[in-house]
Amino acid sequence: MIEKKEVEKLAHLARIRLSKKELSEVPSQLKSILEYIQKLSDIGTDSVEPLFHFPELKNVVREDESRTVDRETQKKMMEMGKDKNDYLKVESIL
Amino acid sequence: MKTTIKETQEKLRSGKTSPKKVVSSFLSRIKERNKEINALLSVFENAQEEMEKKDKNLPLYGAVFVIKDNILIKGERCTAGSKILEHYIAPFDATVIEKIKEKGGVFIGKGNLDEFAMGSSTENSSFGPTKNPLNTQRVPGGSSGGPAAAVADKMCNAGIGSDTGGSIRQPAAFCGVVGFKPTYGTVSRSGVMSMASSFDQVGPFANSVEDAKIIFEAIQGKDYRDSVTSDLLRKKVKNKIKIGIPKEYFVKGIEEDIKKNIEKAIAKIKGSDFEIEEISLPHTEYALPAYEIIMASEVSANMARYDGIRYGLEFERPKAKTIEEAYLKNRGEGFGKEVKRRIILGTYSLSAGYYDAYYIKAQKIRSLIAEDFDKAFRKVDVILTPVTPTLPFKIGEKIEDPLSMHLSDIFTVTANLAGLPAISLPCGESKGLPVGAQILAKRFHEDILFFATEKFEKIWLNK
Repeated sequence: MIEKKEVEKLAHLARIRLSKKELSEVPSQLKSILEYIQKLSDIGTDSVEPLFHFPELKNVVREDESRTVDRETQKKMMEMGKDKNDYLKVESIL
Repeated sequence: MKTTIKETQEKLRSGKTSPKKVVSSFLSRIKERNKEINALLSVFENAQEEMEKKDKNLPLYGAVFVIKDNILIKGERCTAGSKILEHYIAPFDATVIEKIKEKGGVFIGKGNLDEFAMGSSTENSSFGPTKNPLNTQRVPGGSSGGPAAAVADKMCNAGIGSDTGGSIRQPAAFCGVVGFKPTYGTVSRSGVMSMASSFDQVGPFANSVEDAKIIFEAIQGKDYRDSVTSDLLRKKVKNKIKIGIPKEYFVKGIEEDIKKNIEKAIAKIKGSDFEIEEISLPHTEYALPAYEIIMASEVSANMARYDGIRYGLEFERPKAKTIEEAYLKNRGEGFGKEVKRRIILGTYSLSAGYYDAYYIKAQKIRSLIAEDFDKAFRKVDVILTPVTPTLPFKIGEKIEDPLSMHLSDIFTVTANLAGLPAISLPCGESKGLPVGAQILAKRFHEDILFFATEKFEKIWLNK
């Protein structure tokens, strides 16, 4: 079952920093959910196909074209962050 | 007395009331009550002007909506109940919003929700919990608690929510209103923040089944922006309806008061036009554990976009030296507890070594659940169950115990696993709190579902 160290690792993989308090609470909370989930091993499913989507549905396709946003909305969006000459300024990621 | 869209529409068309009167009554109710109930995260003052511009013959004319705050209205703030999106402004209208506008509806506010629609009580909102208007010590249910409470408390006459595991039906039951989750793929999710994409569906809150149907007909339809939408809806109505009662929904864990109420409701419809048959859905007890895994897995993938760069710009990184530091900080501080728990659980079940044992296993169980329903619907037209195992619980009662919170969805997740249409309809009360009955039908058989539910409503509520 899941331990504190593993939770710490998973949180890091998901790029989430947990506080000390969270790290003391989360493992036992996840443990109780995982124990509950164990119920699934009661039934054999070797011959069962997984159901990822419903058989009636077909993919909807469209042309790969860009959409534009009007000036007013653009202005409102810019208010969310720092802008520089009509561009949103974000952290460099490389 | 609550007024339906249908009634408001007739009064507006005949000149017995005006857009001004309709909208101002809702606005004054919001002013008087929202401070305590906290159903709305934002209020729009221009609903009257908008209604005055609409053609009186449109099907949603007179409908005044509260929209769950994970659905985009162009130019308006859309928070998802999360700190990470506190300042996010929507750049376009969700398809469902476009359709409501076209069909004559107007908007009066955005409704509170559990953060990113994850929760069953609306206590997980970063902007404070919503209270149940029928008893303010208790939760309104969730995750669409805001729109449900707003409709119940007469702040509006219509609501839109999203339902991934019961997030429309459970709050509808707790607040005593009608809530409908359509067949997966009938309503577009374009502009609706994704939670678990193979379950998410958008649907209405209303004061009557007829209103729910009017709203559903206005918002459904194939959309090139949501690749799972279709136009397979049936429009045939049957006169003789056979109802199935699955014995697995009346087992231990269900509150005696709920059981009694549902049994009373069944007794009332016996002998009318309906034939009733006990049925079995043998894999029911495996539904919630399978849902937990698939939901958390899809959540962990969908939440990756909230990285503090594409979204969540307010968390600047004054001290973060690396981009990884910035991600950890933004997501660690931006997400609430429940969202973090689900992302971690999803990351776990999708990781190498666990993928087959958890994710694939759960998808196989999902097949078995769907087959149970397929078999049952060969014998019956609709299935009737309770919506929740308990009455609305107290605020704070379950928040520290995630598993017991998740168990409130035990009767609703099956419809999401199998993609079925399901409606929650008030059918009496206990200790002054409402009880909801859930009616399910085959995928795309909304015709039969509404036909049967309108009849139940007449019998249960003496309409």
